[in-house]
Amino acid sequence: MDILLGSIASGILLGMVLSLVALGLTVIFGLMDIVNFAHGEFLMIGMYTGLLTAQATGLDPLLTLPLAAGIGFLLGVLCYGGFVKYLLRGPMIAQLLGTFGLMLVLRNIALLFFGSEDRALHHGLLVGKSFDVGMGIIISATKLAVAVLAVLSFVGVWLLMNRTKLGKALTATALNRQGARYMGIPTERMNALAWGIGGATVTIAGALIVNFWSVNPYVGLIFTMIAFTVVALGGFGSVPGAFFAGLVVGFIMEIPGFWDFFAITFNISWMDAVPMTSFKYTWIYVSYFVIMLISPRGLFGWKQ
Amino acid sequence: MEAIRNALDFSDFPRIDRMVALAVVLLLVTFPLFPHSAFAMATMIQFLMFSLYGMGWNTIGGYGGQVDLGKAQYVGIGAYTTTVCLLRWDIPFWVSMPLGACLSIGWSFIIGYPLFQLKGHYFAIATIATSLVLKDIFEVWKFVGAARGLGILPFKYQTPDFLRLIFKEDVYYYYTIFGLFIIGLLYMNWFRKSRLGFQLRSIKDNEEVARSLGINVHWAKIKTYAIATAFVSVVGSFHAVYVKNIEPEDTMSLDISILIALMAMLGGAGSLWGPIIGAGVLIPLKSYLKEWLGAAAGLVGIDLILYGLIIMIISAFEPRGLWGIVEKIRRRKRI
Repeated sequence: MDILLGSIASGILLGMVLSLVALGLTVIFGLMDIVNFAHGEFLMIGMYTGLLTAQATGLDPLLTLPLAAGIGFLLGVLCYGGFVKYLLRGPMIAQLLGTFGLMLVLRNIALLFFGSEDRALHHGLLVGKSFDVGMGIIISATKLAVAVLAVLSFVGVWLLMNRTKLGKALTATALNRQGARYMGIPTERMNALAWGIGGATVTIAGALIVNFWSVNPYVGLIFTMIAFTVVALGGFGSVPGAFFAGLVVGFIMEIPGFWDFFAITFNISWMDAVPMTSFKYTWIYVSYFVIMLISPRGLFGWKQ
Repeated sequence: MEAIRNALDFSDFPRIDRMVALAVVLLLVTFPLFPHSAFAMATMIQFLMFSLYGMGWNTIGGYGGQVDLGKAQYVGIGAYTTTVCLLRWDIPFWVSMPLGACLSIGWSFIIGYPLFQLKGHYFAIATIATSLVLKDIFEVWKFVGAARGLGILPFKYQTPDFLRLIFKEDVYYYYTIFGLFIIGLLYMNWFRKSRLGFQLRSIKDNEEVARSLGINVHWAKIKTYAIATAFVSVVGSFHAVYVKNIEPEDTMSLDISILIALMAMLGGAGSLWGPIIGAGVLIPLKSYLKEWLGAAAGLVGIDLILYGLIIMIISAFEPRGLWGIVEKIRRRKRI
């Protein structure tokens, strides 16, 4: 029983971070119909930012979030202004492969500077502390703090998108670009802003994830796929969709835990034999495929 | 007969195209006679392999406009079928290659049917997902050697072995893949003029109109996907006997899928010469960059940085590929 509850708890906590990871992707897609393959690489940069500043200054990694957000915002705006702007004129395949090229460049720059070995954080105020909630659920303090901060950032972006004039301009651009331009909204700047927001949220997520996940230059791809799945489930372009879909995908990531629970509780021997932990990510790909077939618009999607 | 005549008929290309193509083919035939390093030979074989991959991708991605980024799974199926058949039952290459192609086509029908209900980005990401699922399965499947893969030990066989396609000298491999290359080129020349080829181009231009003209869009896409798959799987089988050591990571990873799509896109998707030009530029560039910058100068990854930058520049400023530039110049001259 405690395996089940533990899996549920860690699925929820992980899911909150994953929804922050996917937020940037869904905002960018909603605004300009482009899928960013380099999304996971932005996250990797966020992870390295968190790790290196924490190691250099000796601060708790959770305090490095503003720096990560700033770097992410700059990176996003630079990528848009220097590259994606030109990419948007071309056909879809050029967009896909172009962002793939961006991903190769970012990944290998990281490889050149940081080397290929796994790095992890070993210090911090909260490392090693945990709460015993009872019924066998033990929640580590870092994961809880990370989840709370992820939700706070998510709410912040949601407020920005829905409660400010800037957010209204963003939504207007997403709904009808031509119309928005006639109303005097600088759509080019809105696109750049979307990339800035996308970059900032995903690097924040990276700086949070590095608290419990080791980082190497190749870590990006799996997060890109996770983000695609979250966005597909929530509906391409939908912000609240990304949040709920993140929680669901968090559960999907915990399938090995549930599998163990069933194998042990009901004593099913063939279930023990399946190496379920090596299929940890397979379920994400499978669920993307199934979600797209059943409901191409996802839970809250409005873009066809 | 009609089909063969069509395949050999290049007369709708301008004269200069035919002359250049002929010169390139002659150069390829005589290449092993010139003094060359082993590295140059390996690069040439890679070039021929990737232009074949690119031709396969070009059917569905270039003529059909369906961005397929999951071709690596069929490289894997072809390569693994050949290796497993050879190691377990000693089945020669010329039997296991069609077998692998049949398996690939069967699998492509199974996943193609649901896949082609998706469009655009959704389709592209779904193809990646299917490819990665297959890779994950192969990484734990003991029968095919799990994550460590399978290796063919060449000294067990009497070389040169033309049935199992195991040679010591690369020249034999070169001419084998060159033969496949010529067959592939002729097939593509037939394909672009075939009924399916025209159907695909109309689907690419406007799917609704194509449907209203009575084309079974879904079925046409699935058929073309199977053709592309057969190409990729055959070259995958060749890859297995040529490299002799296959693992899920270097046959089925996303990088391979993207590289295959890149060949056609960089050269010019939807044209006969596109994939060949793309492979001819990219493959030597990639391997020599790696040799000079990666291995010699000790800068890990800098070759891939340059490579990625080239991809970015081409896709941002010349999305129709190198062939697009040629056509632009021609159009300007005519006017």
